[in-house]
Amino acid sequence: MGLLEKIEQYTNRGTDKVSNKTAYSKFIDLGFPSLKNEEWKYTSLKKIIANNFEIENQGEEITDQEIKNNSLDLDNKVVFLNGELYQKPTISGVKIEKNIDHSPKYNDAITALNAALAENGYNITVSENTIVDKPLEILFLTKNKSENLAQYRNEIIVKKNSSIKIIEQVKNLSTNLCFSNMFTNINLEEKAIIEFNKLQNNNESQIIVDNTNINQETGSNSTFNTLLFGGAFTRNNLNFSQNGERCESNMNGVVILDNSEFADNHTYMDHLKANCESNELYKGIYLGKSKGVFNGKIMVRPDAQKINAFQANNNLLLSDDSSINSKPQLEIYADDVKCSHGCTIGQLDEDAIFYMNTRGISKQDAKAILTYAFASDALNKISIPYLYDVAKDLISKKLNVDLSF
Amino acid sequence: MKKEELSEDELLEKVTSTEYKYGFTTNIDSDTIPKGLSEDVVRIISKKKEEPNWMLEYRLKAYRTWLEMKEPDWANVNYPKPNYQDIIYYSAPKQKKKLDSLDDLDPELKKTFDKLGISLNEQKRLSGVAVDIVMDSVSVATSFKSKLADLGIIFCSISEAIKEHPELVQKYLGTVVPARDNFFSALNAAVFSDGSFCYIPKGSRCPMELSTYFRINEAGTGQFERTLLIADEGSYVSYLEGCTAPQRDENQLHAAVVELIAMDNAEIKYSTVQTWYPGNKDGVGGVFNFVTKRGICHKKAKISWTQVETGSAVTWKYPSCILKGDHSIGEFFSVAVTNNLQQADTGTKMIHLGKNSKSTIIAKGICAGKSNGSYRGLVQISKGAKNSRNFSQCDSLLMGDSCGSHTFPYIEVKNSSSQVEHEATTSKIGEDQIFYCNQRGIGTEEAIALIVNGYCKDVLNQLPMEFAVEAQKLLEISLEGSVG
Amino acid sequence: MLKIENLKAVVDGVEILKGINLSVNSGEVHAIMGPNGSGKSTLSSVIAGDETYEVSSGSILFDDDDLLDLDPDQRAHKGVFLSFQYPVEIPGISVSNFIKAAITEKRKVLGLDPMPAKDLLWKMREKMDLLNMKPGYLSRNMNEGFSGGEKKRNEIFQMAMLEPKLAILDETDSGLDIDALKVVANGVNKLKNSNNATIVITHYQRLLDYIVPDYVHVLHNGRIIKSGGKELAHQLEEKGYDWITKLADEKWGS
Repeated sequence: MGLLEKIEQYTNRGTDKVSNKTAYSKFIDLGFPSLKNEEWKYTSLKKIIANNFEIENQGEEITDQEIKNNSLDLDNKVVFLNGELYQKPTISGVKIEKNIDHSPKYNDAITALNAALAENGYNITVSENTIVDKPLEILFLTKNKSENLAQYRNEIIVKKNSSIKIIEQVKNLSTNLCFSNMFTNINLEEKAIIEFNKLQNNNESQIIVDNTNINQETGSNSTFNTLLFGGAFTRNNLNFSQNGERCESNMNGVVILDNSEFADNHTYMDHLKANCESNELYKGIYLGKSKGVFNGKIMVRPDAQKINAFQANNNLLLSDDSSINSKPQLEIYADDVKCSHGCTIGQLDEDAIFYMNTRGISKQDAKAILTYAFASDALNKISIPYLYDVAKDLISKKLNVDLSF
Repeated sequence: MKKEELSEDELLEKVTSTEYKYGFTTNIDSDTIPKGLSEDVVRIISKKKEEPNWMLEYRLKAYRTWLEMKEPDWANVNYPKPNYQDIIYYSAPKQKKKLDSLDDLDPELKKTFDKLGISLNEQKRLSGVAVDIVMDSVSVATSFKSKLADLGIIFCSISEAIKEHPELVQKYLGTVVPARDNFFSALNAAVFSDGSFCYIPKGSRCPMELSTYFRINEAGTGQFERTLLIADEGSYVSYLEGCTAPQRDENQLHAAVVELIAMDNAEIKYSTVQTWYPGNKDGVGGVFNFVTKRGICHKKAKISWTQVETGSAVTWKYPSCILKGDHSIGEFFSVAVTNNLQQADTGTKMIHLGKNSKSTIIAKGICAGKSNGSYRGLVQISKGAKNSRNFSQCDSLLMGDSCGSHTFPYIEVKNSSSQVEHEATTSKIGEDQIFYCNQRGIGTEEAIALIVNGYCKDVLNQLPMEFAVEAQKLLEISLEGSVG
Repeated sequence: MLKIENLKAVVDGVEILKGINLSVNSGEVHAIMGPNGSGKSTLSSVIAGDETYEVSSGSILFDDDDLLDLDPDQRAHKGVFLSFQYPVEIPGISVSNFIKAAITEKRKVLGLDPMPAKDLLWKMREKMDLLNMKPGYLSRNMNEGFSGGEKKRNEIFQMAMLEPKLAILDETDSGLDIDALKVVANGVNKLKNSNNATIVITHYQRLLDYIVPDYVHVLHNGRIIKSGGKELAHQLEEKGYDWITKLADEKWGS
C-alpha cells in the first residue's frame, strides 16, 4: 500500500488523528508533488511514496550507548527517541518544551501533511539579552520495526539581543526505510543571532524532506550551514524572509554524495526590506551514481533598496554516472541593488593533480586534497571548532583518504 | 541638489513622450480574408498560395494538433490571451503582377521601405545586402536573386520555394521545429502565409548578407511567417532580420517560426533587430511576439544567434541550438531592452548531444520604466556529450525603481567530462560612472547611452556592421530619458 | 578665476567642510595639503559637483558663474577638470571613444560641429607623446584592467585633451612610481600657461618637487588653517602636520 493510502487509512480511524483539519484537506487536495510541479521538476517522490510506510511509531528500544555513538556528545542535548522527547538540558535563559504548535504554517502538500499529522517536536525560546555560549545539540533518533513515516514540527524563538548555536541531526538506526518529514520555524527578533548547523550524514535507509523557515526582524543575523554527507534521499527547503532592515542571512552547504544517493537543496531568500544582505554558497561533490539538485532563488521585493545578495553554486562531477541539475534564479523588483549568482559544473584541475604528482603526492591523495579544498570555503563558515573537525573527519571518510593536514 | 530634481522631471517627461518611430501605416490595397480560424481558413490560405497537396496536408495536421494544445503560461509575462477567432490570418498587399525588379514596386510600398530606413537601391549599392521583404504575411520583394542564383544559392520567399524547390522544403520543413513543438509553432505551421527560404549549396560562402524585413501593416492581422534556412556542408551564410509594425491601439500577434539547418562544417550567423511596436507608455497596443527559433548543428557546424530586442509589448522567444554533431558550436548573444510596460521573457536553449560541443551565451538585459525583463535559458549536457563546454553570462541593468529583472537559468549536466559556467548579475546603472562622465562634460543622457553601449558591446560586436550602427541608435531611442 | 567663500559641506549629516575660503587666479598653481580625513577630496568633489555632498552654505564663483547652480557636466563645459583619486571604470567604452564623446559634447555647447576625426586623432597622438603613452592605450576600455599608474596617466591625458581652465589634481601622485610621477608632472607643467590654473591636492610633498606651487594651503578638519608659499610644503615635510594642527585645534576644537 502506498503512503497516501496509508495516511487515509490512518486518518479514517478517528477524527482525533488529525491535529489540523484545514491543513489535512489542503494536503489531500494537492497530493504529493509530481515532476510537473516546477519546484519538483528534478526530484521524484514517486518511488518513495510507493513504499509501505507505517504512520504510527513502532519503535525498538534505543540504548544510551546508541545515543552516545550517534551524537556529537555535547554537554547540552535535546534527544527525541522514536518520536518522543527523551532528554533535554537545563540552560539558563532558555526554555525547551515539547512543541504543540499546529498553527497553519504550510505552503505545499508536504508541509500541510506535517501540520496535519505531526505530533511532536521541540519549542526552544531564548529569552531577551541571553547569549548561549555552548552549542545545543538536537538529535532525532528512530529505530523502527518496519518502514515508517516520522514527522516533527519544531519552533525556535530567539528574542531581542540574544544568540544561540544549534547542531541538528536526524538519524535512522534501523535498516527499515524511514521517511522523516521535518518542519522547523525559526523567528529571530530584533538583533537576534542564530547559527544553525544541519548535519545530514545518513545511511541508505533514511529519507528526509526538511522545511525550515527563518523569519528575521530588524538587525538580526542568521547563518545556516547544511552539511550533507549521505542519505538515500534528502530534500531541504530553506526559506528566509527578512522582515526588517539591516538583516543578514548566510547559507552555506557542503554536499558530498556517493552510490545512488540523491539530494535536492532548495533555498529561497526573500528580501522584503531595504538595507539587507544575503550570502549563499553551496558546494556539491558527486561520486558514484549520485544525483544532485540545486535550486536557489533570490527575491528582491519592490522598495527593498540597497540589497546586496550573492549566491554561488559550484559542483564537481567526479564520476561518469553522477549528474547535477542547477537552477539559480534572481527575481528583482528594486533597482538600487547588487545581486549576482554564479554556477559552475566541472572537474578537478588535471594540471594541479599532475603538479602534485610531481611533488610526490599520489593521484588519489591529490584528488582528495583538491576536492577538500574545493569544499573548504563553505566549510570555513562553521564557527564551532568541534563541528568543523567532525565535518572534516566525515569528508575524509567519504572520500576515503586521510585529510589530517 | 534642487537643479537635479527639476531635470529628473524633465527626463520623466521625455521618457513618456518618446514616440515609436516606425508607427505609420501604408495605404496599400490588400487582399484579406475574413477573421477567424478553421479548417476552411487553412484550406483558403493554401489555395490562395497555390500550394501542392502535401503542403495542405501538413497545414491541416498542424491545425488539428493546435486545436488540442493549450496556450502556454509558464513564462514570466502577463497579457490578455488573444482571441484566435478575432484575427485575420491572411492579408497580402494587392499587386497586379509578379515583379521582376524592385524598380517595378508599387510607389506606396516603396515609400514604406524608405520610411523603414531600407532604401533598397542604396543598400544594394553600398553594402550589397540581398533583401527579402515580408509585408503583413506575404513576401513582396526579393533583391539580388539572379546574382545569387549564379552561385547556386536559393534565396526567395517560402511560398515560392514550396513551388520551385518542393524537394528541399518537404525534406526539411518542420524537422527542427515540429508543428507539435508548442502552441505557437502549431499555429504557425497551420496558417503561415509566407516567409523566407534560403539554401546555400555545399562548400559555398554566401558573398553578401541576406536580409529579410518583416512588416505588419494591415489592422487586425496576425503575422505568421516561416523561415527555413539550410546551409549545406561546408557553407557559410550571414542572415539578418528586421521588423516593424504600425502604431495601433489593439494588440497584434506575431507568431513566427525559424528553422536553421547547419550541415557538417557549415556556419550560420543569424542576426535579428526586433523593433515591433511596443505599445504606448500606458501599455496600450503593441505586438505580442511569440517566436520559436531553433537550429540544428551537425558535425563541426556552427550556429550563432544574435538579437537586439527593443520592441514588442510582450516577447516570448528562445532562439536555440541543438548541438547534435561532434565539435559543433552554438552561440547566443542577446540585448533585450524593455521600457514603459513592456514585458520580455527571452533566452536560449543549448542542447549538447555531440562530443566536444561548445556553447556560449551572453545575455544583457536592460529594464526601465515599469517593464519586466526575464532571462530564461536551458543548458543541457547529455551523457554522450563528452568534453562539452558551456559558458553563460547574463547581466541585467536596472533603471528606475518600478521595473523588474529576473534570471531563470536551468542547468542540467549528465556528464563528468563537461564544464559549465554560469554567471549572472543584476545592478543599477552606476551613479559613479555617470558622475565621471558628467565631470568630463558628457551630459546624463549621453552618459547613459555611452554606458549602455559599453555594457552591450560584446553583443553589438557580433552584429554585421550596418546593423550594429542601427542597433546602437535603437538602444539610445528605446532608453531615451529613462533614468531619473 | 576661482573664488570660494565660506564653503560648508555635509555628508550623511556630518559637516566635512566647515567654511573654506580660497582664491585662485589664472596662471597660478595652488597646493592643498593636509592629513588623511581633513576634507581634501571632499573639497575637490564639491567643486566638481558630486551630489554625495550637500553644500549647506557658501559659494564657489568661477569667472562670473556660481558653480553651485550648475550640473557637473555644465561645470566641465566651463572648464573645470577633476583628475579623480579613484578613476571609474566604464566597461566596453574605449578611451578614444570616451574622449571623443567628451570633446563633442563640449563643442556642442560652444555651437561647434564635432572635431573632424583626423584632427582629433592627431591631437590624441600629440598628447599621448607628451605623456609617453603607447598607441594601444586608445583602444582599451576606460580604466578597465588599468594599473593604478595607467589610470592616473589616463586622467592627465584627458586633461590634456580637454584643455581645462582649472585643473584639480586629487592625489594624482598616489599609485605612481617615481618615473611615472615625473612623466605625469612633466605633462602637467607643459600644459600650464598664463590662462589656466591648477590645484594640486596631495598628502605628501613629493609631487610638489615636480609641480612647484605658488601657494600652499593646509587643510585640517574642514578648514584651511595655514597658507604660505612653497616653503610651507618643505616645513610640513620636515615637521609633519602636528605643529600646526595642534594650534588649530586649540582655536576651533578638534
